[in-house]
Amino acid sequence: MSLTKLVTAQADYSYGFLDAYAKRELRRRILKGIAIPGYQVPYASRELPIARGWGTGGLQVTLSLVGPESVVKVIDQGADDSVNAANLRRFVTRMSGAQTTADTRQATLIQSRHRIPEEVMQEGQVLILQVPDPEPLRAVQSDLAKAREMHADSDYGQMWLVLYEQLVRFKRYMQGASYPVLVHDRYVMSPSPIPRWDTPMLHQAAHLTILSAGREKRLYVVPPYTNVYPLEFTDVPFQVEDQREWVCLRTGAQHKFMNEIPQADGGSTYEVSDTGYADKLVAQQRGEQPWIGRTYYDDEGNFYHAGYLKPPVIPET
Amino acid sequence: MAYVATKGGEEAIQQAERLFHTLKGRVTPQLVREIEMTMPYLVDRVMGEGALYAPELAALALAQAGGDLYEAVLLLRAYRSTQPRIAYARPLNADQLLTVRRISAAFKDIPGGQVLGPTLDYSHRLLRLDWLDGEAGQQPEPVNADDAPAAPNYPLVADWQRQQGLIDGELPPVESIDPADIPDVTRDPIAMPAPRAHRLQSLARADTGGVLALGYASMRGYGFIHPTVNELRLAEADVAVTHPVTGEPFSIGRVRVSQAEIVTSGKSGYKIGFAATMGWNEVKLIAAATLDVEMSQSEPHPAHTEDFVLYHTEPIESSGFCIHFKLPHYVTFASSMDNVRKVIAAMYPDSREARNVAADARTERKVAEQQPGSSPTNGTAASDSPAETSQPEEQPS
Repeated sequence: MSLTKLVTAQADYSYGFLDAYAKRELRRRILKGIAIPGYQVPYASRELPIARGWGTGGLQVTLSLVGPESVVKVIDQGADDSVNAANLRRFVTRMSGAQTTADTRQATLIQSRHRIPEEVMQEGQVLILQVPDPEPLRAVQSDLAKAREMHADSDYGQMWLVLYEQLVRFKRYMQGASYPVLVHDRYVMSPSPIPRWDTPMLHQAAHLTILSAGREKRLYVVPPYTNVYPLEFTDVPFQVEDQREWVCLRTGAQHKFMNEIPQADGGSTYEVSDTGYADKLVAQQRGEQPWIGRTYYDDEGNFYHAGYLKPPVIPET
Repeated sequence: MAYVATKGGEEAIQQAERLFHTLKGRVTPQLVREIEMTMPYLVDRVMGEGALYAPELAALALAQAGGDLYEAVLLLRAYRSTQPRIAYARPLNADQLLTVRRISAAFKDIPGGQVLGPTLDYSHRLLRLDWLDGEAGQQPEPVNADDAPAAPNYPLVADWQRQQGLIDGELPPVESIDPADIPDVTRDPIAMPAPRAHRLQSLARADTGGVLALGYASMRGYGFIHPTVNELRLAEADVAVTHPVTGEPFSIGRVRVSQAEIVTSGKSGYKIGFAATMGWNEVKLIAAATLDVEMSQSEPHPAHTEDFVLYHTEPIESSGFCIHFKLPHYVTFASSMDNVRKVIAAMYPDSREARNVAADARTERKVAEQQPGSSPTNGTAASDSPAETSQPEEQPS
């Protein structure tokens, strides 16, 4: 044993950028979040060398969990090679030395903006969702202190009223992404701006989901095997995006969340939004044997929890 | 397993950063020193909003960011968050400040006197084009020193008003405060209503432009008060910490600070609004002190609630969130477009969307007939005809 082995080399920055106090605070807040599913836990939220609103909430969680053994996947809109995902991945590896992957099955930590991967995540995996606005009640109550009281009282009547008004005016729920959900039969939660296609993936999931808003300084958690239901009236079920007819130009896949690409002729082409998954499909078609996991929606579009999604009902006038 | 193969995105962002630095010109130690020496007010603003007193680093941040203020503030803040807190400064009373400028609009003269100090307030705002001529540039005219040096310390105007019983409310006893117990907005989650310390710290770090906009709205009449500048100070302050061995206070250096106090009349005397920041920034402090009073109203204007003011004047958060809209949002947009198409189809039967939906429905029926047992429910039907290009032969009923 020599002295050089006992001491740590001087470094300009702490491992994982955050100092030990910040990491400890975040881990404690995460544990609290796990103990109270869907509850928004305030945290101090340190400034990072990434612009606020660009994933600093998710990044703080990732940096407090990452280790040299971690395998990190970072996606933005489903894409690993999106410029912001590439930038965040570059920062995480620069500060932690962790390995990275585009393969959902190989990753231990997945930081994502606006998407959940198509392949079913497993026990032990952690999904970290970047959150712009953690408060699902914002549209009905912009005052944070009052919104907290409403959560404490389970006072969600105004949320139901919003849904009802949408049905009256539009004959359907008009919330696009960030569709509000009820977690563990207790807290109404914003699932972050994931499309409705991804919302059911949070229900009774094997993996841990941590949602973190750096700018708004709050995080919340969906622990494994927790009930997550979209807010819906029993006679007008929640609907995911209708992309039944869409076929991926790259892979020929169907019933996966697609990007619509406008074409000069006025039409559109489509491509699977989850680039890690699409790359594996392409590899398979080339004759390689990638490890492709089961997907949340099968090739006929059936969700893996049978009966969770219901056929559409158009309310009567 | 290795690093994800470098794709277009990664290469692009590296080249984009290089291009930025190529176009903005080279940063040298000399340039940083010149920014620090010749632009103290800009450096002060970056230090104040960056919540880190380090003139050299603030000048570096400005140079590195090509003068982009929000980028410079973010650079300082991000650097600050890596620094450990090794000591707490002792509380400082305003009458201990080494004051260089101190004015009150409430009285013609005040105990200790009005001290104009360095200011451009009464300058003619004529662009000095002659400073561009030749090599000499500006030739500063010497300041005529007074026979007797000005006093370093001055009493507080508010102390006189307190003695007169004119002020609403009392000051908390200063001696009892342990600096380590003061809530720290950089280390604690902020909750509303915020502790007073969080409010004043947030205002000290707040965006100058943001605070000015909201404060100006109050002054123009959207607020409920009329501010009178009770006292405005520019000063240098000795930062005193307790010696870890002897327990004696000693100065670890001097920082430029400024503070403003505004008063407004109320039922039980004058209410005081207060704001202070690192560096000299008068316009921000007068606006912030005004907002301090507005936020304490029992029914403030919606744009002057504590929640509204403190969240929306945070320079890093507001600027970061604003520019984040440059990031791709095509997933959320697709999700909303799905709703909009369905609504257009339902509301306007003659629309293209309605024809597409009708075409889809026919395809579904066809598929369902071909595949007994499958029902055309949400995400279960399949078709090989792309919906967007199929044209119906007849109008839907």
